[in-house]
Amino acid sequence: MSHLFEHNGAVGQGYSQPAPVLPASSIALPESLARKNLPRWPRLSEPEMVRHYTWMSKRNFGIDTGFYPLGSCTMKHNPRVNEVIAQIPGIADIHPHQPEHHIQGLLAIFHEMQYMLEVCSGMDQVTLQPVAGAQGEFTAVRCVQEYFRLRGETQRTKVIVPDSAHGTNPASAAMCGFEIVEIPSREDGRIDLDALRAVADETTAVMMITNPNTLGLFEADIVEASAIVHDVGGQMYYDGANFNAILGITSPGLMGFDAVHFNLHKTFSQPHGGGGPGSGPIGVKSHLAEFLPGPLVKNRPPVGDESQMAIDDMWYGWYQPTHSIGKVQQWHGNAGAVIRCWAYYRRYGRGLRTMSEHAVLNANYLRHAIHKAAKEAGVDSLVKDGAEAKVAKHEFTLSLQPAKEMHGISAMDVAKGLLDKGYMAPTVYFPLVVPECMMVEPTETESKDTLDTFAIHFAEVLQVDAETLHAAPITTPVRRVDEVYAARNLCLRHEYDDE
Amino acid sequence: MLAAMGMSSIEDLFEDIPAEVRMTGDLPLPPPQSEEEILADARRLLGANVAMGERVSFLGAGLYRNYVPAAVFQLVTRGEFLTAYTPYQPEVSQGMLQAMWEFQTLISELVGLPVANLSLYDGSTAAAEALTCAVRVHNRKATEKDTVYVSELTPPDRLSVMHNYCQGAEINIKFLRHHADGTLDLESVSEAAGSCGIYIEQPNPLGILDGGLSQLKDIIGEHTALIVAVQPVSLGLVEAPGQYGADIVVGEGQPLGSPVTGGGPIYGIFACTKAYLRLMPGRIVGRSIDVDGKVAYCLTLSTREQHIRRHRATSNICTNETLIALMGAMHMALLGPEGLHTLAVRNMTACLLAKQKLGEIKNIVLPHSSNHHFNEFVIELPGSSEDCLSHLDSVGIIGGFDLSAWYPERKNWLLATFTDQTSEKQIELLAAHLAVWASSQEVNA
Repeated sequence: MSHLFEHNGAVGQGYSQPAPVLPASSIALPESLARKNLPRWPRLSEPEMVRHYTWMSKRNFGIDTGFYPLGSCTMKHNPRVNEVIAQIPGIADIHPHQPEHHIQGLLAIFHEMQYMLEVCSGMDQVTLQPVAGAQGEFTAVRCVQEYFRLRGETQRTKVIVPDSAHGTNPASAAMCGFEIVEIPSREDGRIDLDALRAVADETTAVMMITNPNTLGLFEADIVEASAIVHDVGGQMYYDGANFNAILGITSPGLMGFDAVHFNLHKTFSQPHGGGGPGSGPIGVKSHLAEFLPGPLVKNRPPVGDESQMAIDDMWYGWYQPTHSIGKVQQWHGNAGAVIRCWAYYRRYGRGLRTMSEHAVLNANYLRHAIHKAAKEAGVDSLVKDGAEAKVAKHEFTLSLQPAKEMHGISAMDVAKGLLDKGYMAPTVYFPLVVPECMMVEPTETESKDTLDTFAIHFAEVLQVDAETLHAAPITTPVRRVDEVYAARNLCLRHEYDDE
Repeated sequence: MLAAMGMSSIEDLFEDIPAEVRMTGDLPLPPPQSEEEILADARRLLGANVAMGERVSFLGAGLYRNYVPAAVFQLVTRGEFLTAYTPYQPEVSQGMLQAMWEFQTLISELVGLPVANLSLYDGSTAAAEALTCAVRVHNRKATEKDTVYVSELTPPDRLSVMHNYCQGAEINIKFLRHHADGTLDLESVSEAAGSCGIYIEQPNPLGILDGGLSQLKDIIGEHTALIVAVQPVSLGLVEAPGQYGADIVVGEGQPLGSPVTGGGPIYGIFACTKAYLRLMPGRIVGRSIDVDGKVAYCLTLSTREQHIRRHRATSNICTNETLIALMGAMHMALLGPEGLHTLAVRNMTACLLAKQKLGEIKNIVLPHSSNHHFNEFVIELPGSSEDCLSHLDSVGIIGGFDLSAWYPERKNWLLATFTDQTSEKQIELLAAHLAVWASSQEVNA
């Protein structure tokens, strides 16, 4: 097994560079500034470098490799035309400080994306600046914080989150300086309105919640939950991680929310290889709009010379909200991601509802198919739904608690068994409210055949004896990785022998 | 599929959504488009933009138009990298995990510190997280608690991000002063000793390389974090901050591996000493073994992170910029140490040549010319930068950055940027047009 730092060939630089405009000797840095030793980077030729990264890519699993039902992550296909579009110089070679008349096309796309997200969410104003879901949460909570400060309601120091919330919710609110109040979910995984009533008071600033919730279930009591929070003067925040279930069907605005973030990289398919990049725009109702990070894009009819450069007879420009919280990223957010997501949305346009319908259909069908396949294989006693529900939304949970009790087979064992079958494993042990939880999200871009085959393979894994499953995976580039060893014997970089 | 589930309509799947919250009617959006139509529209709209490469551009101010080798784009779009997500299942994610462990090593070597994470969102969020990290580490022993000092030259947009990240923990941000020649006032640094940390950039926002930074750690002592932000390419010539006592190094990783892309996605560098390891933000890869004792990589130190620690996490960051960091790693792997040096020389000599040529223009002053510069320097004009940029724009030149956007009183300061993509001819073109404009100002005056 090789790594980059074993390459130290005489061939050296992997690409040739033109000569500098002046000789290197013209730079005479004093002792206090000059670097004494260059970084001990490897020396590779281009073919060596290409082989190294190609070899590593073959040791990695992406959506392109196989089915990737990672619950809560909405791992849908990344259309390749979006990558072609992102390389157009009119986005790739654009500087955020270029004047408005240089970037009319970019601003037009930004404006269209603001509008599209506004109508899908039922919000009044969207900013595209936050670059990830967690940053969107942070940004929205900051806006609410400033809103209350301006109103003099500084006693609102608490943010309510359900115990099933994504970890980013409490983390983002805490970063803003709020105290976190966690409320328990009901037995069936849904929001407990009595628990909410018990904690909601004049110190409540925000309630953060996702709907459908992290079990993939629609919170039918959401309007009442909103009313409880609004009655005490608090604000409702919608975590858009699960937006893929509701586009064109319902909206956070209809449910009574005041602010929402979108995970564009999930819902609208920005490839986030290895953990990012993302894009986390937020939308807010009008009373919060003047607190958004700026600048935002607006349009108007062109004036004078502008008409020559106007896009479809409109002129686009930046503006700053009056009470803006300032910036959360120095530039204009992940513009390149916004462009890709614009391309994804355009394939559906006004038919975005179809996208969510197919996502929900696939999730429900897969849940049905897994239970059916398990029953036919005589292993249906080992797995049950994580939560009782006639229909799930875009994702669903399973509990391997029976398998654990009967045979000592954990959710993690089943996950590793699925890796051997050539799949990415579903999310395991989240949400915590389901014992031996497995969270499955197929997305709309998978075919019925893929779902049927996965269901059969899932049932096959359940038929494997505990001892074999404990040893899984066996077909992967490495076998079970010792995470405790990694934490106890920290090795966070290559160390050279001479050290 | 519906029939298999005993359902007759897609509506059956949404029966759990109450009528009172249901949308009615179509979304007010355009009709669906085919791939070809979307591509054509993208080319029309993005084609209406002025890409920097279509003009002669001297715009930088934090993002730099460097060459990214072809192999980087070819390899990063391999589907196994491109379409993966966070490596929660390390057995099938060894490629990305190893690439990120290598990235950590490359950055660690570059900045001279033992630990690097696998990216934050951008340079500004990396800087902001460094400040909160410094307070977490040093607040107990600090004599000036909950306080950090940052350079007064810090661009307002970057400072705004810092304020947003710091206000929740009630951290005060105070300022370090600079001399008229642009270098840091070391006396003001003495005043910051006893606080939790100081933040300074090398090169600074005016492109100045400041030799005084080598003395900072001695001035502030071990209980105040020295945070240095870098332009990573400069480190092919300029001393690694770890060598002069930096505790945390951050920076905009973009010049290594990424096009400017309107300001994102790019990636933020975050590296530190081991003292900060357990209180730092972001994901980290560790080398481990599998059950057979084979070398294997996995995410580690996750107990700092939001999915485990929830509201006590060191940061809320989850999705980050790994794919762009991977592009950075690929660029670094192709450069090698000597290639980095050459790249730094190309950037610095372009700047040097420009200083010589522009310094000869009548009516133009280079107020900080006694310093060494990397990538960019300030030009004091005989009229407003706004006016000058507008003139240059009319002849096809993106002339630089109007510094009145950062420092409102500096109406006549232009920040012009020169990178490895700047040729001698382009510098001469800029000099010629600046000379014409400057002389017209004289006439007007």
